[in-house]
Amino acid sequence: MRLLEVRDLKKYFRVGGGLLRAAGTVKAVDGVSFAVEEGETFALVGESGCGKTTIAKLVLMLERPTAGSILFNGEDLASLGSAGVKAYRREVQTVFQDPYASLNPRLRVRTIIAEPILAHGRPERAELRQRVEEVLDVVGLPKTAADLFPHEFSGGQRQRVAIARALALNPRCIVLDEPISALDVSIRAQILNLLADIQERFRLTYLIIAHDLALVEHFSTRVGVMYLGNMVEAGPTSEVFAHPRHPYTQALLASVPRPDPDHRAPVDAIRGEIASAMAPPSGCKFHPRCPHARPVCNTEFPGWRDLGATHSAACHLLESN
Amino acid sequence: MSRQALLRVENLRTHLFLKRGVLKAVDGVSLHVDEGETLGLVGESGSGKSMTSLSIMRLLPKQSGRIVDGNVWLDGTDLTSLPEDEMARDWRGRRVSMVSQDPMTSLNPVFTVGDQVGAPFRYHKLAQGARAVRDAVVKVLSRVRIPSPEKRLDNYPHQFSGGMRQRVVSAMAIACAPRLLIADEPTSNLDVTIQVQMIELFRELQRDSGLGIILITHDLGVAASICDRIAVMYAGRIVEVGDVRTMYRAAAHPYTQALLNSIPHLGQRKRRLYAIAGQPPSLIDPPVGCRFAPRCPRRTAKCDADYPPQVELAPGHVTACWHPGPGAVA
Repeated sequence: MRLLEVRDLKKYFRVGGGLLRAAGTVKAVDGVSFAVEEGETFALVGESGCGKTTIAKLVLMLERPTAGSILFNGEDLASLGSAGVKAYRREVQTVFQDPYASLNPRLRVRTIIAEPILAHGRPERAELRQRVEEVLDVVGLPKTAADLFPHEFSGGQRQRVAIARALALNPRCIVLDEPISALDVSIRAQILNLLADIQERFRLTYLIIAHDLALVEHFSTRVGVMYLGNMVEAGPTSEVFAHPRHPYTQALLASVPRPDPDHRAPVDAIRGEIASAMAPPSGCKFHPRCPHARPVCNTEFPGWRDLGATHSAACHLLESN
Repeated sequence: MSRQALLRVENLRTHLFLKRGVLKAVDGVSLHVDEGETLGLVGESGSGKSMTSLSIMRLLPKQSGRIVDGNVWLDGTDLTSLPEDEMARDWRGRRVSMVSQDPMTSLNPVFTVGDQVGAPFRYHKLAQGARAVRDAVVKVLSRVRIPSPEKRLDNYPHQFSGGMRQRVVSAMAIACAPRLLIADEPTSNLDVTIQVQMIELFRELQRDSGLGIILITHDLGVAASICDRIAVMYAGRIVEVGDVRTMYRAAAHPYTQALLNSIPHLGQRKRRLYAIAGQPPSLIDPPVGCRFAPRCPRRTAKCDADYPPQVELAPGHVTACWHPGPGAVA
């Protein structure tokens, strides 16, 4: 069942317009569509500035889309009344990247975890206490953790607190925005394993935002690769990683440094740097860096090509089958 | 062919004197870097890798940080015994320099890039007069492959992208043709496609000049693609060191093995990752025995009682472990 669906989503930001500078428009997300099935992990991957975090914010209703729609459980978020929005916010929770910034340093863990519960109801004291201790237990923290402040925890433990807070309302979907990239290497595996466990236990649906391709390959069931506000390739993770078809996906995968001293990333896999989102290149936005660009890439925006039942890419060089 | 030893750190102990107590950030570290060699210093935050490099640079926090024991020999001179003015005049930035992690905070936003890259030339009197400094800056910016450097040097840092800024910072570090470059997580804030370009740049600089490099990183992928040897640090000490192939193929210390197994690698989809239980110990009051013992799958009574001596398993492959051996950890 489709739990979350994004249709032709656009988010433009107006920037500048200062004393000496003309205003411009950053097309952070420029026509992105994808669907997330219940219980799966859908990953949005791409380099900084590709629009993946903006999509997360739109899904969390922290930003309003410029155009397009987001459907949850078949219902358009734009059509929800205030009760509907409130119910949606119960069902969709988030874990942010940096647990040093996402937890209020002045609150005890008990209060941090109780906050979302109190925002959505008036439970009795004993009931609230029990729920807080329950979720602490789920994320592998002792009951005594509830009375401590965030600074008394290490980075990994703080991220556990953030996960406990996300679980407090029994959500159906969690948006994970770079959930391990601020953590130490030896701690990352603990948190990833924990996220996998609670997904299985509570049948959670994950939308994960990440730039680490190895993490995405390990953790997600389906993936959408983004470049400068567009999705350029999407499909089952195993398929996209084994047979990347878009030149950008190919370059990205080839660039990842591998823990193998005999592997050398090809330096010519990709040229230059990501273009400015205020003045994106014409045609295919990737064409100035693409090793296979043809004249048509400069002029026409590439449509989607179906490369299999569920695998597709937006590139002029590919044929639909 | 045996290469010339460039840097030799002997039994370095650096302590931070804090209100909470004495934090033994670096607790008996010995390492060496040869000419033209890249040594990877791998470890988590708090393992002492940055404190080791700040000790070499003599840039420890003034109030609290002090080298309490050990020597840092660079080209035969003990940097720990130099008076500060000599260190500043002839060594720091001149023969040993540093690239830090964040190019955004290591550049001053109100000065042009040309001004800042010119600073080491002026300070160390390697170019006299505005014209000569400008020429030197253009030259060094083109060495780090910044396009049209003669125009770009009048720009301010915010006019550069993240990757280009990291190149500017690297240009400052190599301006005086140092013998040793310490690169502290030089690629960790960069996108992968830019990372490859930076890795290539470091390789090029080294090929041209016989520069010795210490690369500090927690990214085993980056370390594998650029280093000749790898030293793994844990809780203020080096637990294993060896050439890059040995370290990735035949690591003997359980911590090194755990590090390699606990991160996902492309193309090796595993259902679960090996998670190292617990967390690193406090360096104010570290365990008496092996510091990794509380988290180690091979822990025995001996590990808790005494710190393991260094054993040389093969030439150049040294580990401090009571139970070294091939990876049973997975």
